[in-house]
Amino acid sequence: MGATKADAADYGALRELFRHHIESFDHLVDRGLETMLDKIKPVQIFDPSSDKTLKIWFAKPEVYQPQKEGSSKTSHDALLPFECRQAKTSYAGKFVVHLYFQYDDKVAVHEKFNFGHLPIMLKSKLCYLNGADPQKLVSWKEESSEMGGYFILNGLERVVRLLILPKRNYPMSMVRNSFRDRREGYTDKAVVIRCVREDQSSVTVKLYYLQNGSARLGFWIQAREYLLPVGVVLKALIDTNDHEIYSSLTSCYSEKYGRGKGVVGNQLVSERAKIILDELRDLTLFTRRQCLQHIGEHFQPVMDGLENESFISVASAVLQDYIFVHLNNNYDKFNLLIFMVQKLFSLIDQTSSPDNPDSLQNQEVLLPGHLITIYLKDKLEDWLQKAKKLLQDELKNKAKNFDFSSLAHVKKVMDKNPGRQIGSAIENMLKTGRLVTQSGLDLQQRAGYTVQAERLNFLRFLSHFRAVHRGASFAGLRTTSVRKLLPESWGFLCPVHTPDGEPCGLLNHMTCTCRITSFFDSKGNFRDFVKIRTSILNVLIGIGMTPSLPKIVQAGPPDVLSVLLDGRVVGSIPSAEVEKAVSYLRRLKLSTTSGIPDDLEVGYVPLSFGGAYPGLYLFTNPSRFARPVRNISAPVDGSQNIELIGPFEQVFMEIRCPDGGDGGRRNEFPATHEEIHPTGMLSVVANLTPWSDHNQSPRNMYQCQMAKQTMAFSSQAIHFRADQKLYHLQTPQTPIVRTGAYTKYCIDEFPTGTNAIVAVLAYSGYDMEDAMILNKSSVERGMFHGQIYQTETIDLSEQSSKSDREQRMFRRSNTDKSAHPWIDSDGLPYVGQMIRPNEPYCSVYNEVTTTTKNHLRKGSESAIVDYVAVDTKTKKGLQKANIRFRHPRNPVIGDKFSSRHGQKGVCSQLWPDVDMPFSGITGMRPDLIINPHAFPSRMTIAMLLESIAAKVGSLDGEFVDATPFASSTKKANGEEKSESELLVDQIGAKLRKKGFNYHGVEVLYSGVYGTELTCEIFIGPVYYQRLRHMVSDKFQASSLHWNSRPGHTPAHQRKKTRWRHPIWGDGTRFHGCTRGGVFIAR
Amino acid sequence: MEGGGGASYQRFPVVKVRETKDDYLKFELRGTDASVANALRRVMIAEVPTIAIDLVEIEVNSSVLNDEFIAHRLGLVPLTSDRAMSMRFSRDCDACDGDGQCEFCSVEFHLRAKCMTDQTLDVTSKDLISSDHTVVPVDFSDALADDSAEQKGITIVKLRRGQELRLRAIARKGIGKDHAKWSPAATVTFMYEPEIHINEDLVETLSLEEKQSWVESSPTKVFDINPNTEQVLVVDPEAYTYDEEVIKKAEAMGKPGLVEIYAKEDSFIFTVESTGAIKASQLVLNAIDVLKQKLDAVRLSEDTVEADDQFGELGAHMRGG
Repeated sequence: MGATKADAADYGALRELFRHHIESFDHLVDRGLETMLDKIKPVQIFDPSSDKTLKIWFAKPEVYQPQKEGSSKTSHDALLPFECRQAKTSYAGKFVVHLYFQYDDKVAVHEKFNFGHLPIMLKSKLCYLNGADPQKLVSWKEESSEMGGYFILNGLERVVRLLILPKRNYPMSMVRNSFRDRREGYTDKAVVIRCVREDQSSVTVKLYYLQNGSARLGFWIQAREYLLPVGVVLKALIDTNDHEIYSSLTSCYSEKYGRGKGVVGNQLVSERAKIILDELRDLTLFTRRQCLQHIGEHFQPVMDGLENESFISVASAVLQDYIFVHLNNNYDKFNLLIFMVQKLFSLIDQTSSPDNPDSLQNQEVLLPGHLITIYLKDKLEDWLQKAKKLLQDELKNKAKNFDFSSLAHVKKVMDKNPGRQIGSAIENMLKTGRLVTQSGLDLQQRAGYTVQAERLNFLRFLSHFRAVHRGASFAGLRTTSVRKLLPESWGFLCPVHTPDGEPCGLLNHMTCTCRITSFFDSKGNFRDFVKIRTSILNVLIGIGMTPSLPKIVQAGPPDVLSVLLDGRVVGSIPSAEVEKAVSYLRRLKLSTTSGIPDDLEVGYVPLSFGGAYPGLYLFTNPSRFARPVRNISAPVDGSQNIELIGPFEQVFMEIRCPDGGDGGRRNEFPATHEEIHPTGMLSVVANLTPWSDHNQSPRNMYQCQMAKQTMAFSSQAIHFRADQKLYHLQTPQTPIVRTGAYTKYCIDEFPTGTNAIVAVLAYSGYDMEDAMILNKSSVERGMFHGQIYQTETIDLSEQSSKSDREQRMFRRSNTDKSAHPWIDSDGLPYVGQMIRPNEPYCSVYNEVTTTTKNHLRKGSESAIVDYVAVDTKTKKGLQKANIRFRHPRNPVIGDKFSSRHGQKGVCSQLWPDVDMPFSGITGMRPDLIINPHAFPSRMTIAMLLESIAAKVGSLDGEFVDATPFASSTKKANGEEKSESELLVDQIGAKLRKKGFNYHGVEVLYSGVYGTELTCEIFIGPVYYQRLRHMVSDKFQASSLHWNSRPGHTPAHQRKKTRWRHPIWGDGTRFHGCTRGGVFIAR
Repeated sequence: MEGGGGASYQRFPVVKVRETKDDYLKFELRGTDASVANALRRVMIAEVPTIAIDLVEIEVNSSVLNDEFIAHRLGLVPLTSDRAMSMRFSRDCDACDGDGQCEFCSVEFHLRAKCMTDQTLDVTSKDLISSDHTVVPVDFSDALADDSAEQKGITIVKLRRGQELRLRAIARKGIGKDHAKWSPAATVTFMYEPEIHINEDLVETLSLEEKQSWVESSPTKVFDINPNTEQVLVVDPEAYTYDEEVIKKAEAMGKPGLVEIYAKEDSFIFTVESTGAIKASQLVLNAIDVLKQKLDAVRLSEDTVEADDQFGELGAHMRGG
């Protein structure tokens, strides 16, 4: 028990992997709900008869910890997660919002409204498990390492999938053919910005370029795109005149620079500015007032609730709610629009290149808490509108017993619109992953937001939280460009850990060091973004930035660079000063006292000849990718040189590998940063492959997939789980040859395989074509033994109709004694009892019909009753029971196994021990034989290394460190040269010292004839995994669907195309069997 | 060979025991060929009978391990099986009509354990109560135990407070061919005795350093250099693993034929390690018995008599002529 304290510290690294999920939810309950409610506009209902106006708005949300639906109201029993899993209920807390009612200008009255139950994320601030130590967790029947981050809904664990979104508040220049189809005269070029409000809801604004040289601002209101001439918006935003607009637009062009470096404007800019202003004149819009009138007139029909307002207030509402919603100030909006127009013109003139929307540089991520916030906002807005409509209907009908001025009457009408459905809407969204919404929430897809967090094994479970999906809309795309592995994602997304096949390149995994920025700093304190931005501004002004003030026209590149802080043009900085400013900012990031957050993204895009549009873009917002690197240019004070960088800035930084070399950058571009360790570019699962740097890269990819399909030790708390299906390896071992990640992420708590003695030889012919021979005696001694746990839930209250609900109960028949061998008097089976097919496992008595119905086991396989759990908390007596069956799954011919190097194979024979080849010296017989042909074409050298290293390790009684890229971490100056010699030579020398052959081969004798085999055989321990694809399961499945003809896969299963990993060149599609026949398994 | 008439192939193998302990035996087998040596090895591993738990009836099991797991672990516990040779296979037992629960073919065990304290209780093979004092779980404590208090038998399962394990188990006779739990041998292996000839004249052409590096090329210590005469000696020919490292080294040094190594076709060095179910020496004797029985079965079968005409002298050979 003394070890638990140390373990708790160890789980830190593990918990870090899940932090972004939990922090986003913590923010939701801490502040997110409140900010969101503030942003919901109050509704006003006017009663013409009494001439009264009622204003209703939301405030003060309250979310409670999950509680049992009490038998009494006073007692509040905590509802624990394991109880939800067992009882197949949802882990949700009560959600209450205060509703404020105000008649005219009288004092507002507030009233609590119940909005049902909000699902609570495990280990979030509202979860009981938050902050519990391992001992406490175990006493609550959880894993000692429980990390949370998921929801429990109807007993199932579901996790919100991280989705890639366009980077917020950054104007991106894009070229897309679809822009041309908007309307006549549109080109394929536009500048697009996804603006995000404080409550995380977003509005995307597009600035299109027209063939005539003008531009249109497009934004979506209720599933329709509206397009406004950019001049109208410019003039409507602030009081200005044509000259000011003209000089602002043309500020980026100066004759003296010609076509030099970093020049973005040319003389055409002034022509276009004239066209924009001419358009205004043609519309006879000269003043701000006229522009607002013009906008208001057009938008009044689509703006809800503003039917009776003046055009001007409608127009300001449009500007506030749809144009650059991340900014509150119209001057800021004006400046940003000017900046965007300049960027658009530069894109047209090809003085800057378009931004790639598929590159991680221009992307961020959608976090669970944010998704729930925006969905909840949508639902609450709908609810308020519906309440308004109900009240108005009541007024229109002039119902007699309705008094508008009485709050009680108003509330009674509003109760027709139940608030509970809000909670269940959120729950349903998480259950199905489907958004039911009119507006689309500025998101690209409607379904696939959540997935089940399968606990097939720990690695699969963990990967669900590290996975980042590109978006469902890209899955159907025929092009390969989105699937490509781009250099921008270096260090953030793992190049190895992506599935092969359909989701290849779309479903990526974050590297082990990658994290997502959040509303909380590293100490868990809430970040005050207003304060942060002011301190950044002060620093910027201190280092030579000219702040942007109204009416002051700033010059453009290459003279000065615009500075954008979270999508706001805050000023400009002379391009000569900017490099110094950037390194100063980076130094401040490292300091804890500067008030500059450690994850500030300093995106400095330098001047170039037609490269990305130059500027200094600073980002402080949450949900960005970030990863730590070592800043070697800053003066070292202790270990304070770890800097968090983002994908946007990384592209323009010089980061070297810590191998002591310069990476070929010579003196022109000295490295300012250094990677902490080369394994930081791999995901957790990819980091578990020993010496993966010695393998052919696709093999490492296959291993990442297979590690996630391994039948392993899935859960320590397996006795308290009621999952539908759970795989369990009976006798797992920890690998002898292991990487640093095994210890760091406590993988030994959930081991995935066995160290098997593997001989590489062609023996008996049963090891051809990736088949493998298992030693029968080894299997009989317990190697790869396992079980499948399967739970049946019988809920009597659910199955029956309302009428006979009370009359059904678990009871066995007293008259018919045929079921008595299996079923106890309570109608449930005996624990430990074996139930064969068509034998009863529980019986239900119906009081109305006085009949007993036995539930019979289906399938063709007998199972053992492992566990029976009953729900005793209901008043009606026993209504719900979980019966868990155990299916033994010991290895049989046809089961699949694999090493950690993408070398999978099928067991073809359980070969008798005496027939196996044996070593004359040690008497050792192999557990497993594989064919030597598995190696030449696959080039999994690390597997050979593992074999000999494990041999040394087992002779020494020590684990062997097999962390990849170990040779790239040494400093060039220090340490003796012998360290850099080949790995094989180090291992070989040790083997020889132990009296074994240098190359890991041994002389073996035929088990059948007792004669020496003519070749020396490569033999040694290799960590083998058992994959979940088992004959016994497949056989069952096929016997159930007996009418499906063998050899005919159903039409929907047939894949038209197969995707390979984009690392393989262009991600070319290939059909069927171009690789040389369907019989060759990789 | 053909037409040799009554030529006899009979050989007179010799066994010389080198080292013997309860669970370890090293002996030489000379004057026979690989087929006999390998047959002996195979029989020792797979066909010498022992007694092991075969049926487990679990009454109470509230431990963390499931019933099959515990049954499997119990099966692998080695039981003292000196009685095994004289016992009946339960399938051949007349006394109990094959239900395998009589004293001639089975031994009953009981296990009752419950943890009453906060200290984790280890249920070990010592907790198995046998109905027959000759068939008990193997005790490893006698062998040079430094502190015998530590020897607690083989752990079966660990119990925490309130957990209980109660079961009845039936042990039966069986052979390793059916299930590895009945195998009495941990390891049985043999190697051909090597014959090493050093070409002294050629060795003398080498310098001391060359000799040194040649001697060290063998991963096992087969050769050494006499410090006085600087002569290369064969110190332990049996340490040679047939890895041919020294031959390759000699060739690499440009001195092929420096050493010649043959495997003697008719001498074997056996190493036998027992699980403790029967003594290693007894294991060999039992194996020879089993092998004899198998040969008897062949010789006495009617097929063999019929085949006599066909195989002629082979039949005679089998009858020991």
